[in-house]
Amino acid sequence: MAQLDNIIHQTVRLQIMSSLVSLDQRERVNFTTLRKLLKLTDGNLGAHLNKLEQAGYIEIEKTFVARKPQTFIFATGKGRDAFTEHTTALQQIIQGTKNND
Amino acid sequence: MNVSQDDARASLSTIRDARIQTQRAAISTYASPMMILWGTLWIIAFIATHLYIEHGQHIFTAMNVVGIAVSAIIFYQLFLLAPFSGMQCNAFISTAGMFACVVMGLWFKSTFMIVLGLVMTGVTLVGFYLLTSCYCLWMAMMGGGSLLGAGLYIRVRWR
Repeated sequence: MAQLDNIIHQTVRLQIMSSLVSLDQRERVNFTTLRKLLKLTDGNLGAHLNKLEQAGYIEIEKTFVARKPQTFIFATGKGRDAFTEHTTALQQIIQGTKNND
Repeated sequence: MNVSQDDARASLSTIRDARIQTQRAAISTYASPMMILWGTLWIIAFIATHLYIEHGQHIFTAMNVVGIAVSAIIFYQLFLLAPFSGMQCNAFISTAGMFACVVMGLWFKSTFMIVLGLVMTGVTLVGFYLLTSCYCLWMAMMGGGSLLGAGLYIRVRWR
């Protein structure tokens, strides 16, 4: 039976993981684009990214592109697996095949 | 964790919305500048050719020069300054180019071009999905090598 994930379930983190997982596993998205996509403030996005990074669900890569600092974010394999399991658990709840605990 | 069926539905809806938004952002980043550029150039070039049919060749040459120059600037920005890292874009461009090869084969009734396009599409997909760690090397050797070989073959044998 698939398990819900406390870290991913929070709405903003769910949006972040959904965005990252919808891209190919080698694709990265930069911080500004993600912030605009999800309509978040720098601080709010940064705080949620830290939580996901601590869980090992995402990686944050700081680099320079054309001499400008850029922060790229991507979902790790562990993050993708956790997200898939969380989504499966949500579907099981809707189908009534999973009891909440 | 206590999640009701309604909460679960709302969460899945959030997931779907975020996915759609991200995919649209990625596609609009890569595709829309090129579509706007070439769409504008086509409108101008075809109308100008309709009005001045005798200058059609010059009009389309000018269109291609302008289009290629502006495309180069757009590509620079897409690959160096893009909000996404561009791996999918790279594979997309390779397969799109090979699709053009297939279309050329269909127009000119050339089985060779059709097979080349399909094989190169296969080579790109194999590299992208199965040989992720050495995708660029794979494309350099197998992709670039096959194209170069095919180009030389056509030049030597078909003239």
